[in-house]
Amino acid sequence: MAVGDPEETNRAAAVRLLSTRYGALGITTGPALLWIAALLLAPLTFMVVVSFLEVSPISYEIVYEPTLANYEGLFDSTPWWDTPFFTAIWLSYGIATVTTLLCLTLAFPLAYLLARRGGRTFKIIIFLVLLPFFTMYLVRAYSWVLMFGPGGVINSTLMSVGLTDGPIELFNYGVPAIVVGLTHAYFPYMLLTLYASLDGLDFSLIEAARDLGASRVDVVRDHVVPLTLPGIIGGSLFVFVPSVGAFITPRFLGQGKIQMIGMLIESRVVGTYSIGYASAASMFVLVSIIGAMIVAFRYVTIEDLGGG
Amino acid sequence: MPSNGDRQTESGNESTSGIGRRAYIAGAGATGLVALAGCAGGGGGGGGGDGGTDSGMDDGTDSGMDDGTDSGDGGSAGDSGGTTTINIITWEEYAEMQENIESTLDGVELNITPSTSSTEMFAQWNSGQDEQFDIAVPNNNLVRRFMDADLVTPIDQDAVASFDSMYDKFQTFVDQQFTADGEAYGVPIRFGWYGYAYDTRTVPDHEPSYDILFEEDYVDADLDGEIIMYDEAAKAMPATALYLGFEEELQGSEMTFSTDQIDQMQQALVDQKPRLQGYIAADPTFIQEFQQGNFLVGQSGRNEVIQMRTEGADWVEYVVPREGAMAWYETAVVSAASDNQETAWEVVNEFLAPQNGAALAQAGFSPSTNPAVSEELTQEQNDLYGSIDPARLDGMIPFKDIASDVEEEYVSAWEEVKAA
Repeated sequence: MAVGDPEETNRAAAVRLLSTRYGALGITTGPALLWIAALLLAPLTFMVVVSFLEVSPISYEIVYEPTLANYEGLFDSTPWWDTPFFTAIWLSYGIATVTTLLCLTLAFPLAYLLARRGGRTFKIIIFLVLLPFFTMYLVRAYSWVLMFGPGGVINSTLMSVGLTDGPIELFNYGVPAIVVGLTHAYFPYMLLTLYASLDGLDFSLIEAARDLGASRVDVVRDHVVPLTLPGIIGGSLFVFVPSVGAFITPRFLGQGKIQMIGMLIESRVVGTYSIGYASAASMFVLVSIIGAMIVAFRYVTIEDLGGG
Repeated sequence: MPSNGDRQTESGNESTSGIGRRAYIAGAGATGLVALAGCAGGGGGGGGGDGGTDSGMDDGTDSGMDDGTDSGDGGSAGDSGGTTTINIITWEEYAEMQENIESTLDGVELNITPSTSSTEMFAQWNSGQDEQFDIAVPNNNLVRRFMDADLVTPIDQDAVASFDSMYDKFQTFVDQQFTADGEAYGVPIRFGWYGYAYDTRTVPDHEPSYDILFEEDYVDADLDGEIIMYDEAAKAMPATALYLGFEEELQGSEMTFSTDQIDQMQQALVDQKPRLQGYIAADPTFIQEFQQGNFLVGQSGRNEVIQMRTEGADWVEYVVPREGAMAWYETAVVSAASDNQETAWEVVNEFLAPQNGAALAQAGFSPSTNPAVSEELTQEQNDLYGSIDPARLDGMIPFKDIASDVEEEYVSAWEEVKAA
């Protein structure tokens, strides 16, 4: 060390800081922890607190007296499952489930092919899958607005080539359009997660099973699926969780007739500033998703989700 | 004896396994606090250094160039090149006036935040953002709510010299709707009304009525799945009320439906839903989908249809139903929390100036409340939207807010409709 040289001194100080246990941990993980604390934990804590408080409908100020009124509001109907909240939450779970299954069904064979072949094929397909990601999510969602609808590209094309006399309801705005939009949006997450899992698969096991008389179905059911379960669960979580809370896609492709939970929460906040109700509804969604993740992590670990 | 490299490895292993969770969290927390303190200190320093030119932009404080009373955060601009930024939340077409207003008012910059809903504007202001915005331009139905929440300041008559240039009708509206204790709080800028539009290529001529939106056999055309309603309770619910004959409840200073009437409106909208193509909020979406052929009849404002006709869609017709229509006029208000109230009112005054009003009318296909605006438009533009006699509003019902005692039922009813 060149004593007296300011640059050398700074470098030496940095090295000393990094060589201590607390210093190294603080510098490496501190910024990320700070980020999470400020932008995830703090808002989450605020949401939890507000869900147990009232908000004045006149002044919009938070009244600091504990109450369960916001949670009771979620069930405020006869029967209780007939509230707009529960209608929206069941619909959201349903759409997210179908989207997840569709992504899984479409992505699994492709991921399997990529894991077996690799090379140039892999690069081309991965490029094609990731290509839409180079455009904004909003633009991708809006492109489906032009595709669907009675006068959209799909129906117009079918009518112009004489395959149908009038618009087909399946290609109108609504639940099918939302599922397609969400599948398009989240397909790469499923594909890449499955690929990471399948890439670590020992394919000689499959060949051995086939040599010993197992059918293709047996091989998939008894070997491939169990060995890639972490990837299946991980990919499903990556698709299901954002699909439940989706906002832009259902807003564009539901034509206002479909109200998923994210839209209901947004309308409460923007329309009447009912942040207490909105927080309680968000908590319900959050807790239910955490519950699903706890169940999922009984079968896989965090490390498994990365493949292997 | 281990090498130097070995010692580092051992040290690394120890550091991973040897630190307790509490110590780790404490360390990370301390780092965070230090970083936060650093940010705060840096920010403060920056603020001090930047005092002059940015003070208006950052927190809405005036540099003092207007009346000498709003000195801001050490603003050094004074009369010599300082900038006052006026933050505005309004409809996106207002951006068309920005350049001209900035060139007219020396030292004034406009920062326009587009919004698609008066309710959203109120929610933002009432939740504390009234300090971030100087001007909002909600529809007339929400202005009273801004006033009741003490969010707005009375009109500065000296600054809004164009007030007397408005049609008498709108000055009367101000007296009736936006005046309290002898002081007026809002300046109407442009106006229009809500009826419905239809595709004349498929829908035959008929007596205009909301029945077409709610009843299957009102016209000799299959409209199942071909109807659009506004995706906003404030617009869809009053139309339903007029269809059901609840006109009297719309006549006062606010909408005074009974719970039973709200239930009937909810049921009518739920029954209507299977016949709908959907609900649409934004004008461009309405226009794009109408032109795409996605529906045949749509509840709409006049301006959407005028825009379509201007662009060549001569097959679209716009009518006012026999049951009546809701009239709207966007009204500029200035925040009571603004440090730039006088400048803000000067900007509002510019909204009414003929040249700016013409730019706004051209962008939004809606007439200005200032008749002098028509002098800046062509004859064709005036015929379509520039010179619309406000006497046409006579038979219409001014948009208004829902009475607070049934607001919850009203909001719930709309949510039930959307969830059905």
